[in-house]
Amino acid sequence: AVASSNQSRNAILVSHRQKGNPLLKHIRNARWAFADIVCDYLLGQSSCALYLSLRYHLLHPDYLYYRIRELQKNFKLRIVLCHVDVEDVVKPLLEVTKTALLHDCTLLCAWSLEECGRYLETIKVYENKPADLIQGQMDTDYQSRLNHALTTIRHVNKTDVITLGSTFGSLSNIMDASMEDLARCPGIGERKVKRLYDTFHEPFKRVV
Amino acid sequence: MVQFHEHIVTDLLDDPTGGLVILSSGLSIPKLLSSLLLLHDPSQGTLLLLQPPNLSSLKSHLHHLLPDLNIPEISADLPHHHRLSLYSSANVCFVTSRILIVDLLTQRIPTSKIGGLVILHAHSLTETATEAFIARILKSFNRNVCIRAFSDKPHAMVSGFAKTERIMKSLYIKRLHLWPRFQVYVSQDLERDPPVVVDVRVPMTKYMVGIQKAIIEVMDACLKEMRKTNKVDVEDLTVENGLFKSFDEIVRRQLDPIWHTLGKKTKQLVSDLKTLRKLLDYLVRYDAVSYLKYLDTLRVSESFRSVWIFAESSYKIFDYAKKRVYHFVRADGTQLNALKSKSVTGRKRKYKEDGNDKDGATGSSSATESNGIFLEEVLEHTPKWKVLREILKEIEDGRQKQALLGEEVLAIGDNDDGGIVLVACKDERSCMQLEECIMNSPEKVMRAEWEKYLLSKVELRGKVEQHSLQRPQKKKPNPKGFGILDGVVPISPAQNTEASSINKQEQEVLLAAATEIRKQGKKDYVVEDSSQPKVGTRTLGRGRGRRSKKGASNAGGPGSEDNIDNKAAELATSAIEEQTDAIDPAVVTNHNEGSLKAAPLEKGVLRKHTLESDSSRIRNAKGLPPIHFYALEKDQPILDILKPSAIIVYHPDMTFVREIEIYKAENPSKRLKVYFLFYEASSEVQKFEASIRKENGAFESLIRQKSSMMIPVDQDGHCLGLNSSLEQQTSSSQNSITRKAGGRKEAEKEMQVIVDMREFMSSLPNVLHQKGMRIIPVTLEVGDYILSPFICVERKSIQDLFMSFTSGRLYHQVETMVRYYRIPVLLIEFSQDKSFSFLSAGDIGDDVTPNSIISKLSLLVIHFPRLRIIWSRSLHATAEIFASLKANQDEPDESKAIRVGVPSEEGIVENDVRAENYNTSAVEFLRRLPGVTDSNYRAIMDGCKSLAELALLPLDKLAELMGGQKSARTLRDFLDAKYPTLL
Repeated sequence: AVASSNQSRNAILVSHRQKGNPLLKHIRNARWAFADIVCDYLLGQSSCALYLSLRYHLLHPDYLYYRIRELQKNFKLRIVLCHVDVEDVVKPLLEVTKTALLHDCTLLCAWSLEECGRYLETIKVYENKPADLIQGQMDTDYQSRLNHALTTIRHVNKTDVITLGSTFGSLSNIMDASMEDLARCPGIGERKVKRLYDTFHEPFKRVV
Repeated sequence: MVQFHEHIVTDLLDDPTGGLVILSSGLSIPKLLSSLLLLHDPSQGTLLLLQPPNLSSLKSHLHHLLPDLNIPEISADLPHHHRLSLYSSANVCFVTSRILIVDLLTQRIPTSKIGGLVILHAHSLTETATEAFIARILKSFNRNVCIRAFSDKPHAMVSGFAKTERIMKSLYIKRLHLWPRFQVYVSQDLERDPPVVVDVRVPMTKYMVGIQKAIIEVMDACLKEMRKTNKVDVEDLTVENGLFKSFDEIVRRQLDPIWHTLGKKTKQLVSDLKTLRKLLDYLVRYDAVSYLKYLDTLRVSESFRSVWIFAESSYKIFDYAKKRVYHFVRADGTQLNALKSKSVTGRKRKYKEDGNDKDGATGSSSATESNGIFLEEVLEHTPKWKVLREILKEIEDGRQKQALLGEEVLAIGDNDDGGIVLVACKDERSCMQLEECIMNSPEKVMRAEWEKYLLSKVELRGKVEQHSLQRPQKKKPNPKGFGILDGVVPISPAQNTEASSINKQEQEVLLAAATEIRKQGKKDYVVEDSSQPKVGTRTLGRGRGRRSKKGASNAGGPGSEDNIDNKAAELATSAIEEQTDAIDPAVVTNHNEGSLKAAPLEKGVLRKHTLESDSSRIRNAKGLPPIHFYALEKDQPILDILKPSAIIVYHPDMTFVREIEIYKAENPSKRLKVYFLFYEASSEVQKFEASIRKENGAFESLIRQKSSMMIPVDQDGHCLGLNSSLEQQTSSSQNSITRKAGGRKEAEKEMQVIVDMREFMSSLPNVLHQKGMRIIPVTLEVGDYILSPFICVERKSIQDLFMSFTSGRLYHQVETMVRYYRIPVLLIEFSQDKSFSFLSAGDIGDDVTPNSIISKLSLLVIHFPRLRIIWSRSLHATAEIFASLKANQDEPDESKAIRVGVPSEEGIVENDVRAENYNTSAVEFLRRLPGVTDSNYRAIMDGCKSLAELALLPLDKLAELMGGQKSARTLRDFLDAKYPTLL
């Protein structure tokens, strides 16, 4: 009993309803097991997913609503995993979007069974992962940080960053450079010169 | 004004409801516009000019043509009542489309007083563009508004399916006027009295030819690869097309719909072709050293990803480029020592001697690193330089001959502002360089570039030596690029190691040379400094002559032949100088003041004109006519201001050719000689000829399109009249009937959506409005669209989505949305013509990888379980989704929405156009600097004016602003950090 509860904690639990769904064979990076559950996939203690094929939705427009109602309020994260398997998506997707949104479900769209499977796996695998991957902690080395800052200026690319860096020697020198000096850099044309210069010299607040 | 201009204007005025004019590039839209403005009568109502992207150049053109007309600009800085008075002034004003649309939507414009709208960049519009939005709203309030649009980029008007027709419909324009260069009136007017044209074909150097050949080969190889993908129409994949910027558009348009499904390699090919085009362009524009430098940076920034760098012929590009600048020679130690023992002056002399015959290399700054390899400078000159000088001499000689023939003629001719020779190059950089070339000598320019090149290496190196431990690590990542760069193809491992050891030696030699130059450079500075004051006393007033004098004294190293000439010339002319000084400066200053008055207060122009007075001085020293260097990219009314009598087109450009033609046609009595400098059999020639062919082709296609255009006769009738809102209502309720499946009913009341100011860059507000929603533009701190008191939407296009995941921006945006709204929504909007999916099945891979978009979205969803996601197929789908989501919700509250998320000290927002009031790119830049956080960036902006000022703030001041020593130090260190070496 201990083993099985342990197992069930580390595995995606799959409702018996999903038996025969070809999606299951694409779940390979996480274990899964059938179980008696209300949702289609139980991905963690308080997260679950419902699977919906758009083609099925076209035949049974009310299906999604009833399934969501069944879930009640037991889960913090309720995912509607929508398999986009029709050509004309606008209308069905609108309906699914509205139902999901107004009934507290997060909609994820996938265009193939592999992609559906990958979402389920990922959410399971990342269950306890911190968010720093998407918090913008970029590489902390000098070049990356310099790229990160200078490429905010439109049309300035990484080659330009190197040109500027090696011409002026430091960021403060770049920021202080005259239009003429900027124009002397190979590859930096009129437009870029002006953009760079304006960014550095126009006041932060235009209205004084 | 030439006669055909009048034709165009009368044709256009023929139809009071407006029209679209497409003309050949260079036929001067500003001239048309100026006569339109002259004919504008206050009784017609206010005429609004939408600001084109190149506003400043347009303004200087207009200013020159209509010096008395001062066109006010409606900007965000103007308080509301000022704007109102301008809108109702019945005069002409400039306005940005963003401000105009916002003011229209907030109904702050007396629309009945608006008489017309002029759009000057019709080619950059789309059906859903803000400009179309403006046109629709204006027409709906005031049917009589006349909308006129212009474009001088015919090729851009034929991209895409029936683009012109669709633009015309969206602007409610019925008539199309085409004015190609080959139109009868145009060609008659321009060819009646054509200028004298001298076509100079300059042969390229051996290495330039080699590089060009290699680039074309690589380009061809890339195109062949591209063909293999079967994704792009084969007909478009020609080298000739590849020469143009528009090639990217051709390719992107075909690939965009499937862009997400493309493999890395295809995407890389697209960007490689762009790089190659640049290389080809720079080959004829940059000098040998700058070109090498550019290649060096390319190597560093591209070497990993690029396909082309590893292509067979690519190594030739690098090899030849290097050989144009220097090469290494093995020699025995004794010779090296001998050379080394020579003093600095000896070195200089040697160089000068050999510098005269170009191919002769000099054993100059020989550095003596191991194994007796030493460096020979080649410093190949740009062939056009010499030709330019010869032409200038020829012009001057011609003038002097004439002067001899009759002195009276001279007097008249000279006063007849015949003096100035205009040299037109593509960019500012070439201008400055050519100027130095003519003022000093090509040798000096090359030497300066070379020293700069080496210095940039050694300075960086100095830093690396400090952290010598880091160096081996730094070097490791790109050894691959090295072999190829230095012209050694890694064939076998054995050779490879040998090659890299040679490379190492070579680099050490380079560095040693650089070090020497640095040492010497320091001495030179001292010398220059001491000589300056002396020179200053010698020159008369304003320190004008200083530059040339200083140049002369600099170059006056012992025994330089060039300088002997110089000195002689100087001596010879010094007597005359006094006399000419009396006359000449007067002429020059006249020009100067005239042009100053004419030109708007744009810094670049001002500087250029002061240089002009400098360069006019050159004539005294070197027996050259007064010269003005002009960068084509500046797009100033230079011909009309300077009235040159000879023009040297250093970089041929179709637009400029037309401008010359018009200038000549307007001044038929003036003698004008035009020299074109082409590199023989170069991509330059090919590109020039192809640009003309392409434009003609575009016009032919437009003429065909025009004949079969379907423009409703009652454009006005079918557009929204006074009953617009009614129509909208009925149409939307009809829509709801067709969608009855959902069993919904449209709300009777008008729907409202609060939209962030910055979103007016996109087309969604326009489409929402088309759907019959009321758009309330405000500045939002949180979210982009507020649909109801609960629903807040952050909109991301696919590209934005990927980018803002990487930057972490999305995370923070969602974080704040979740904090303030009950239903925070992320809208992922695909674009209609691109594929509706993230990845093709093949791209998914076997494992869960952190960089996949699936992983990122999953993480976002896990961390914000309350976040809702909308997946929208297109703009129009988004609008439908919005409408259906709003159906059962209350309308959003504008004043509440503005206050959400704004820090309390700013609690009340006075002016709702804050987005306009910030230098957004500076703010964004600031926020990405290390040490700057969400909590301190506002304080920084309050405490210092601009980024340039920030760069100079001392540590303690920073600490004060940023609220901490640590973050201040982080920032200061980052700002001052020495940029790492390229080697």
